[in-house]
Amino acid sequence: MAQAGGFSFDLCKRNEFLEARGMKGPGFTKTGTTIAGVIFKDGVVLGADTRSTAGTTVADKNCEKIHYIAPNIYCCGAGTAADTENVTGMVASQLELHRYATGTQSRVITAMTLLKSHLFRYQGHVSAALVLGGVDFRGPHLFTVYPHGSTDSLPFCTMGSGSLNAMAVFEAGYKDDMSKEEAMELVARAIRSGVMNDLGSGSNVDLCIISKEGVEYKRNHEYLQGKTYERQFPQRFAAGSVPVVRERVYDIRKAVTVVEGEPMEMES
Amino acid sequence: MATALPVRAQVPAAGQATKQHASWSPYDDNGGTVVAVAGDDYCIVAASTRMSTGYSILTRNKSKILRLNPKCVVASAGMQADMETLHKMLHSRHVTYQFNHRRPMSCPATAQLLSNTLYYKRFFPYYTFNLCAGLDDEGRGAVYTYDAIGSYERVGYGCQGSGKELIQPVLDNQLKAASPLVLPQQQWLSSLPLEQAVDLVKGAFVSAGERDIYTGDDVEILIITKDGIRTDSLQLKRD
Amino acid sequence: MMRISCPLIDGPATSAAQDACGLRELGVGGAPVDSFPLPAVQDIDSFEREVVEYVKPNHGTTTLGFIFQGGVIIAVDSRASQGSYISSQTVKKVIEINPYLLGTMAGGAADCQFWERNLGRQCRLYELANGKRITVRGASKLLANTMFSYRGMGLSMGTMVAGWDEAGPGLYYVDSDGQRTKGKLFSVGSGSLYAYGVLDEGYRWDLSVEEAVELGLRSIYHATFRDAASGGTVSVYHVTQEGWTKVRGEDVGELHFRFYPDPAKHPCNSVDPLAV
Repeated sequence: MAQAGGFSFDLCKRNEFLEARGMKGPGFTKTGTTIAGVIFKDGVVLGADTRSTAGTTVADKNCEKIHYIAPNIYCCGAGTAADTENVTGMVASQLELHRYATGTQSRVITAMTLLKSHLFRYQGHVSAALVLGGVDFRGPHLFTVYPHGSTDSLPFCTMGSGSLNAMAVFEAGYKDDMSKEEAMELVARAIRSGVMNDLGSGSNVDLCIISKEGVEYKRNHEYLQGKTYERQFPQRFAAGSVPVVRERVYDIRKAVTVVEGEPMEMES
Repeated sequence: MATALPVRAQVPAAGQATKQHASWSPYDDNGGTVVAVAGDDYCIVAASTRMSTGYSILTRNKSKILRLNPKCVVASAGMQADMETLHKMLHSRHVTYQFNHRRPMSCPATAQLLSNTLYYKRFFPYYTFNLCAGLDDEGRGAVYTYDAIGSYERVGYGCQGSGKELIQPVLDNQLKAASPLVLPQQQWLSSLPLEQAVDLVKGAFVSAGERDIYTGDDVEILIITKDGIRTDSLQLKRD
Repeated sequence: MMRISCPLIDGPATSAAQDACGLRELGVGGAPVDSFPLPAVQDIDSFEREVVEYVKPNHGTTTLGFIFQGGVIIAVDSRASQGSYISSQTVKKVIEINPYLLGTMAGGAADCQFWERNLGRQCRLYELANGKRITVRGASKLLANTMFSYRGMGLSMGTMVAGWDEAGPGLYYVDSDGQRTKGKLFSVGSGSLYAYGVLDEGYRWDLSVEEAVELGLRSIYHATFRDAASGGTVSVYHVTQEGWTKVRGEDVGELHFRFYPDPAKHPCNSVDPLAV
């Protein structure tokens, strides 16, 4: 039988046993994050910070947390970086195939259903907390998707470790039927409050504006604070500070045998 | 002498009246980084001023340095409550010392006092990581580093706290001299000019602030020379 | 009994029941248990284990000592680590108790530093009270008694007390379990097995002083080569009738190239995978 798709759970029992005996598993890169979105007059604005952390160290100072789902749908991800990237990628490819089959624009609710059914099946072990937004023929939509598979449909929402900071800004500043500029300013301010006050969030603000007219992906919409100090006596290592003890040149052709053959055919 | 050596018998007595949740811990890590560099006739002490718990910032402006006298300071990272208690204790011991001896406590004496104070809490340690820094009796820069229970050592430069893994290698690369243990004796104190050493410390803090989430906001810098303590400061990123 | 008051070590002299264990009467350690505040928890054992995770005290060592025809040799490395972090490469692991007595340091750095300093104080008081130097046997017993009185409280220390007294050279192993053993040759610490390997192979009673110093140096060097928790500089001390002297202090990085001038010929340098 052909290998069935999906996760391999072969080592779960073993790992559970080892962890019970005191072993520590490998850590995952978490995006302790601030992500947010609002619906405005004729579309949706999504926002995200750009810090990803591994424990208490910053792993990436400028990562991308707004993922492509479809030409009219984008999704912000918080939680384990690998899970958010892959789960949005899987849904994006399923929707692409669906568009080829039906020839119609993807609907936001379809993306949401695919996400929640996948997440529910894995009972929260796929740790992706998402803010999904897009515009389809029914108008703008905004959803939050929780790691266990529950969803909300809301006019404004936030997720991640900085969600409370961002939500405070939304609660204070949200109005129905905002203009695009107002909505962008509000989301940027919400993300900034997460960046400044939540240690899991940081660096810059990314925005993504989706409307009937199209998508504006504003990468590093706000670039916050450059270096605060320039060294007066910069360290320069003169050439030759590290002595070359020995130099060797390998002829790689002697170690590798090239076998001539027919190019492989890709499976159709 | 019937009660010979029932050491353990006292232990339940200490805990008899207490009941608490199984997962409760008396410790919290409030983060922060402290650095000290000794020179021929100066000593630099620097500490980040952010105080945090978990993912939240409690304040952006908390001094972690205790100034005992113009020739000796103590800088502590770790848990703020223990730091405060420890600093209060050292301050009062220093006042008492001055009444008794009519002079401020020297840096090596403070260093030994801090060691004893930490070891006194051997079985319920202060959750603090300390540096004692200043000028010794000959007027040279002196830095002492500690672990949480009081083992200590005089060094040419030191770093403690949440950003130590990021800063210590930089200082090693720039300042490392021969070990004081090698024979024949060699010069083991770094002899960087003051301005360059301050620049190095600032550069190290900026780098640590980029990657350690608990190091940020501001850096309080003290420059200790024979003329007294001068202060300097440095802004770090606030995210 | 004459005592010198030392509030921090003796504890606050207020409570009448402060010597509940009778330790002071026994003259054990000079430090009664109640001078150290204990946490208000029921299970002190697991609390202490948890605390170690938080405060990560300095650890990891190779030390050795042996008696031979020319006196006593003590050799140690100088690294301290907290978990996988090397917290110092310049620790002084030989504690100079007095001109005729040395103590070595393995296990918890703070425990060793504090209690051997305390031992130095006790030895000095003995000298003042009795008008003569304490024997190695006596000094090691003082330390062992202190350790025994704290048994089970989580102290961690493996030490050698070495020196010279009227009976000649002396070497004792004392640890935090309260064990005390007289012997001719010991090695203590995480790298001790590696050191023993070299030491046992090269040891003879009639080693010359030069050979003995070289043997100590080599044993520690090889331990630092294989044990990640040992390193820094090797210090070698020699104890004779005239007291101790520090005879060597060498960086292990430089020792490596002294012992193996051609790195390519070192047995640990593997075969080049790309060599044809």
